[in-house]
Amino acid sequence: MSRPVIGLTTYAEEARFGLNDTFAAVLPLAYVQAVHNSGGRAVLITPDAPDVDALDGLDGIVFTGGSDVDPALYGEPAHPTTQVKPERDAAELLLLRAALAADLPTLAICRGMQLMTVAYGGKLHQHLPEVLGHDNHRPVSGPKFGFHRVDLAPGSLARGLLGESVEVNSFHHQGVADPGKLTATGWCPEDNLIEVVEDPALRFAIGVQWHPEDTTDHRLFAALVGMTSSS
Amino acid sequence: MRPIVGITSYVEPASWGVWIDQDAALIRKSYVDAVTAAGARAVILPPDDTDADVLRALDALIIAGGADLGPDLYGEEPGPLTDSRPDRDRGESLLLQAALRTDLPVLGICRGMQLLAVTCGGRLHQHLPDVVGSDKHRPGPGVYGWHGITLEPGSLAAEVAGDGPEGDGRIEVNTYHHQGVADPGSLTVTAWADDGVVEAVEDPTKPFVLGVQWHPEEAGERRIFESLVDAART
Repeated sequence: MSRPVIGLTTYAEEARFGLNDTFAAVLPLAYVQAVHNSGGRAVLITPDAPDVDALDGLDGIVFTGGSDVDPALYGEPAHPTTQVKPERDAAELLLLRAALAADLPTLAICRGMQLMTVAYGGKLHQHLPEVLGHDNHRPVSGPKFGFHRVDLAPGSLARGLLGESVEVNSFHHQGVADPGKLTATGWCPEDNLIEVVEDPALRFAIGVQWHPEDTTDHRLFAALVGMTSSS
Repeated sequence: MRPIVGITSYVEPASWGVWIDQDAALIRKSYVDAVTAAGARAVILPPDDTDADVLRALDALIIAGGADLGPDLYGEEPGPLTDSRPDRDRGESLLLQAALRTDLPVLGICRGMQLLAVTCGGRLHQHLPDVVGSDKHRPGPGVYGWHGITLEPGSLAAEVAGDGPEGDGRIEVNTYHHQGVADPGSLTVTAWADDGVVEAVEDPTKPFVLGVQWHPEEAGERRIFESLVDAART
């Protein structure tokens, strides 16, 4: 039994490292470590559209965090604070739709969850502070993350993996307004913002609004890897 | 379906977008673009020394440039200017040894060529200016050196790099390295700079095992990547 290969989508941006200031494919190492600590083998998938052949060797895929999803994809004009990477949107939507069509185990994180929502016909809030009246999901001062509880729906995949509720770390200014054809299965109790979406018709298709890779709680990654190795 | 070509990654603190000095897995996009332009799909391989299972998902492997190799790989103590990344050394050594065993096509670039030499039993010069008396292989921080090299006629390196404008196997290349191959181990040296520095190594008994000391991905050289992808298709 060889180790499951888990794809991680990457940023493609101008990056500075060492003496380099260059266009790079780049991803926080925490995602890689979360996959490796969970028994998978991480490979990074760059946004090079149009292309789904990268899925060929993968046993599972993670859609990672990043910029805002282009509101044109859900038929709305851009809010002044919305910052988009249309090339990444196009490439990841293609990969996401192909992964879902193949029932490839899929974990979507933050931007990834929002992209998944849009892929299922949903819509986003483009700037949560204007909707919720607070910035707890991406504090403008203090520590990087906002921390809060998420309550999980009985019978959901998330509930089975994480229990009744979980403390999470948030860093996002957009959020799910309408989950489309996905099932919302987790909410922030303070403001009822949707924090988890799932497609119960698939083996493992779940999106979370927080950043499990940046915590010591890697149960979602372990479940993704476990799902692939049992298939 | 295009061949899948794995490219090993750097792990360094990096700054991009909202991220400042974030530990990251990353690679210059020029490597990815060179593979894409050659008709293959690149995936990036962060270092991991658990096993080489990921090779089953790949049709070819590129060991990319980066920091110095740890001299422990060839049984020497680090010199004062040697700056190594043990996590990359361990992960890439494991991948490369498995790739060579299974005849997977391999291209080593800069540090990747040096790893090829060391994996095949060779050794490195830890600071070339001490050996050749010049810094022309890395003229300054972040500055590529351009210099002439001579390619061995009939070699894979000559096939992918061409005969040069004069048809005499001499070409100009871009280099950025302060270490170099002292002993190629079981590999064959097939290109040299005018000062004798090794510029390419290969294994003529394998379908495609080539290391180059220069940076074809930055110079827009296409044939070397197309040849790798051709080998990946067979």
